[in-house]
Amino acid sequence: MLNSPQTASPLLAARQLGKTVKTGTEQLTILHDIEFSLPAGESLAIIGTSGSGKSTLLALLAGIDQPSHGDVQLDGQSLAALDEDGRARLRGQLAGFVFQSFQLLPDFTALENVLVPLELHGVADATARATHWLERVGLGARLDHTPRQLSGGEQQRVALARAFAGAPRIVFADEPTGSLDTATGAHIADLMFELNAAAGTTLVLVTHDPKLAARCSWQLQLQGGHQIALHPNTAPDGWPA
Amino acid sequence: MRRLALRFLRRDLAASDFRLLLIALVIAVAAMTAVGLLADRVKRGLTGQANWLLAADAALISDHPIPRAYLPGNGQAGLLVAETATFPSMVRSGEQMRLAAIKAASSDYPLRGKLETSLGVVHAPQAGQAYIDRRIAEQWQLKAGDALKVGSKTLTVAAIIVREPDAVIDFSSLQPRVIINAVDLPATGLIGPGSRVNYRLLVAGAEADVARWKDGIHSRLQRGERLEDAQESRPEVKKSLAKAEQFLQLAGLLAALLAGVAILLAARRFVQRHYDSVALLRTLGASRRQMQQLLLGELLALVLLASIAGGLLGWLGQEALAYSLRYWLESSGNERLPAGTPWPWLWASAYALLLLAGTAGPQLLALTRTPPLRVLRRELQPGLRLGAQWLLAAGATLLLLWLAVRDVKLALLTGGGLLLAMLASGAGGWLLIHLLLKLPFAHWRLALRPLARQPGLAMVQLGALTIGLTGLCLLTITRNDLLDGWQARVPANAPNHFAINIQPDQVATLTQLFRAQGASAPVFQPMIRGRWMAHNGQPVNPAAYPDDRAQRLAEREFNLSWGDALRADNRLIAGRMPAAGERGWTVEAGLAKTLNIRLGDTLVFDIAGSSVSAPVIALREVNWDSFRANFFVTGSQAMLADQPASMITSFYLPAEQRPLLREIANSMPNVTVLDVGQLLAEVRRILLIATQALQLVLGFCLAAGLTVLAAALELNASERSREAALLRALGATQGRLRRLWLTEQSLLGAASGLTAGLLASGTGWALGRYALELPVGFNLWLPGVTLLAGALLATGVSQWRLQRLARSSPGELLRN
Ligand SMILES: Nc1ncnc2c1ncn2[C@@H]1O[C@H](COP(=O)(O)OP(=O)(O)OP(=O)(O)O)[C@@H](O)[C@H]1O
Ligand SMILES: [Mg+2]
Repeated sequence: MLNSPQTASPLLAARQLGKTVKTGTEQLTILHDIEFSLPAGESLAIIGTSGSGKSTLLALLAGIDQPSHGDVQLDGQSLAALDEDGRARLRGQLAGFVFQSFQLLPDFTALENVLVPLELHGVADATARATHWLERVGLGARLDHTPRQLSGGEQQRVALARAFAGAPRIVFADEPTGSLDTATGAHIADLMFELNAAAGTTLVLVTHDPKLAARCSWQLQLQGGHQIALHPNTAPDGWPA
Repeated sequence: MRRLALRFLRRDLAASDFRLLLIALVIAVAAMTAVGLLADRVKRGLTGQANWLLAADAALISDHPIPRAYLPGNGQAGLLVAETATFPSMVRSGEQMRLAAIKAASSDYPLRGKLETSLGVVHAPQAGQAYIDRRIAEQWQLKAGDALKVGSKTLTVAAIIVREPDAVIDFSSLQPRVIINAVDLPATGLIGPGSRVNYRLLVAGAEADVARWKDGIHSRLQRGERLEDAQESRPEVKKSLAKAEQFLQLAGLLAALLAGVAILLAARRFVQRHYDSVALLRTLGASRRQMQQLLLGELLALVLLASIAGGLLGWLGQEALAYSLRYWLESSGNERLPAGTPWPWLWASAYALLLLAGTAGPQLLALTRTPPLRVLRRELQPGLRLGAQWLLAAGATLLLLWLAVRDVKLALLTGGGLLLAMLASGAGGWLLIHLLLKLPFAHWRLALRPLARQPGLAMVQLGALTIGLTGLCLLTITRNDLLDGWQARVPANAPNHFAINIQPDQVATLTQLFRAQGASAPVFQPMIRGRWMAHNGQPVNPAAYPDDRAQRLAEREFNLSWGDALRADNRLIAGRMPAAGERGWTVEAGLAKTLNIRLGDTLVFDIAGSSVSAPVIALREVNWDSFRANFFVTGSQAMLADQPASMITSFYLPAEQRPLLREIANSMPNVTVLDVGQLLAEVRRILLIATQALQLVLGFCLAAGLTVLAAALELNASERSREAALLRALGATQGRLRRLWLTEQSLLGAASGLTAGLLASGTGWALGRYALELPVGFNLWLPGVTLLAGALLATGVSQWRLQRLARSSPGELLRN
């Protein structure tokens, strides 16, 4: 997966992407005509105030929600052309996820949580790989601990290990530091960018933290569901803004 | 993927909802396995024994030598065949002679059961030998090797008879038995035209073979010939057995259905707990099919585990029961129960699968439809049509009920009782809770708020608790009231002997004989043989009746009696008993139904060559379990008193008064005494086993009921913990929390208990009255007891779980 040849087309692209939902009797458009393309290896920050549609956009980009109009191209594949299972398969092959609420399985140990995507896709040396990634995020001594026994920051590290262990080509992160205090959040952010850089992964990051956004190579700003700005960062490497 | 599935299974095994699912399924399988095994074993044991009473699996009985054409043919080599001829005759030893009941048997006799003699268990004597009754041996001081003359043939006494398998059915009076080999029969010169011989062709073998043989000759039977098998010859045993089996099946199923309620609740919790996992897995690329496989695999593993554990538990339970009854089983002179087959267990496992599919299937299917978007939008979950779920559960319940009892009426009645319990407890309990909220007790209001806030959940809890308690109460009632009622129908001093063929002028002598022994004199009833000739002017044509039973009833000669008073074990259900001087018939209601006889119909019987015609003026219900002599048809005194009759009586004779029988035999050789003690013992045995088995099932029901409580608690555990965190954060102490919950649970339990008590009393009454036809009263004290029991049980079971919640710190609670 990781070593598949680079294609000329962008890894991720949105074409006139929009989402309309029904609230009671009214049609409410929560996302209007999003349009961008992101080359492989780049990172995109989606920023905006609460309720501006960031998570909605992320869900559409990752194919876990369906647009009302427009389309998403993931690795040259139109998501609109795929059914739910097809999108799931594509996600399994290409994507890793990090969530604000961690989304670890509460009954599983750290190791088992990282093993989930690996075993789901039948990766050969799953345990070795999972252990390696947990060591990578500094939890080598906590393999057998369940989320209950881990702090928020530690839980998010497990989530990072899970996201990267599958050798994804793109990682979707929805406010990965949103549930953490500033210091811990900063650590997690550092770790994420470090892993991302090392693996050469494409990153789509939802945040309302401007500092974090500044560390991505691209910024897409939403306001009331409208894409009001899309620009490359002035300091693409983003070291401390 | 397989490793992931195993991982999920392992983790789920540690989760309380999954364990509750497992426990509930184990209970269901165990209860149904135990009941099924027991019923099957007892049934086969009894059938086997009933066959012993016939010394065969089936017999062709004839008053003339059996035509060779009836012998099993070429294609039926698997069948065992024996023949007997029984008749009264004089036997001699030296100068002495006396009447004996001779049985000439072919060498393979008996085919079923045991012929026990002083030599041990044997078959018919060899040619030239005889087995003799102990009474002859004692009377004439005979021992093995002595000579005995039967007719004109001299035989050697080979053994003394201890027990003969088919003595009960063959009841050739109390004349002492002499068994000889059939090959010696011609040489005795005793068989000639006009001699009263009872010929039997005995057949035994595989069930299907025997059935084929019977089918083959059934249509060819001539006058004086009839087929008999063990079941047909013992309707009392068969009826008791069927009732006991049905009752047990129902009780076992009740445990399973209670477990089903627990499964329904635990499955909801299981499903809720897995929304996030499923959403995550789907986000991480699992297809819906993979999710289905994962869940299906887990459920199959669940059923497999439950099947193994439950099967083992059920088997152990019934084995323990059989063991605890062994003394009783063996002391009745019978062999041990036959070993069980795996069928009841397999059935129970299949039922459990059906139960799980019916109660949890749709929820689990919906689970696989969890949208992956839930990882971002927590509130999303698949549409769960709970209405459809309940409907399916109800359907599965009815199907299970019907499978268990194979009786639509009983299944509907029980299912209706359950549905009623569900509705009534939901609504009734809810009303009670509302009433309590109106009371000026701040503590109660605060305690009941969680219930009031979530009416749906509260109703499920109330319903579950009520059903659990109703089940328990129903069993308590049934165990006491229903069984008491049932037992009462077979009193301890039920007659164990019949005496027939008593001449009217012997009644006084016989009464004196009883008095002299210190026994109370029995009641004598006249008995008249009559052939049914016409029904409403139409000649009776047995072939015209659609079912076998009716045909058989119509073609046989009736034993009629007369009298104008209704007997104590009869109940008038239509018409009235005859007035003095009136002419009329009274007919047993079951017979009337089978033969389509209605009140007012005219029946003609041929009695001793003359026709007696009269209308039917009464229909009676007869308690056959009383074991007293009863008649399908009786006539009024005015009509039949002058007809030639012999007398019949039934009486209870304790073992120590048995010598009386010998006196009767000696002084009145024409009187035939039948010992039905063995038959009675069989019925009693069924009752005993049923009572014991019910206790075992009660244990399973209790367990299932408690599982329901635990599952109901598990279902709202997370809401409760959030609420607890909030209350603690607002300054409530652990003690306060605990008191609040205690109040909530006890009020909930009390409300359910009250409802359950009322429902159980009603259902028990209805079941007894309509399904089992037993007089069971409405139990008035029960609701009070269940109110208390409900409160106690609810608090008791909930405490271990709630203690844990109350002890956790507010912070911890918020984090989880
Ligand atoms: N299915 C839906 N039905 C109704 N409204 C919706 C739905 N999905 C999203 N919304 C609304 O669309 C808006 C955008 O939601 P979204 O979660 O994408 O915002 P966000 O930018 O991620 O906010 P936050 O920073 O608070 O997470 C919100 O007002 C939300 O209530
Ligand atoms: Mg958001």
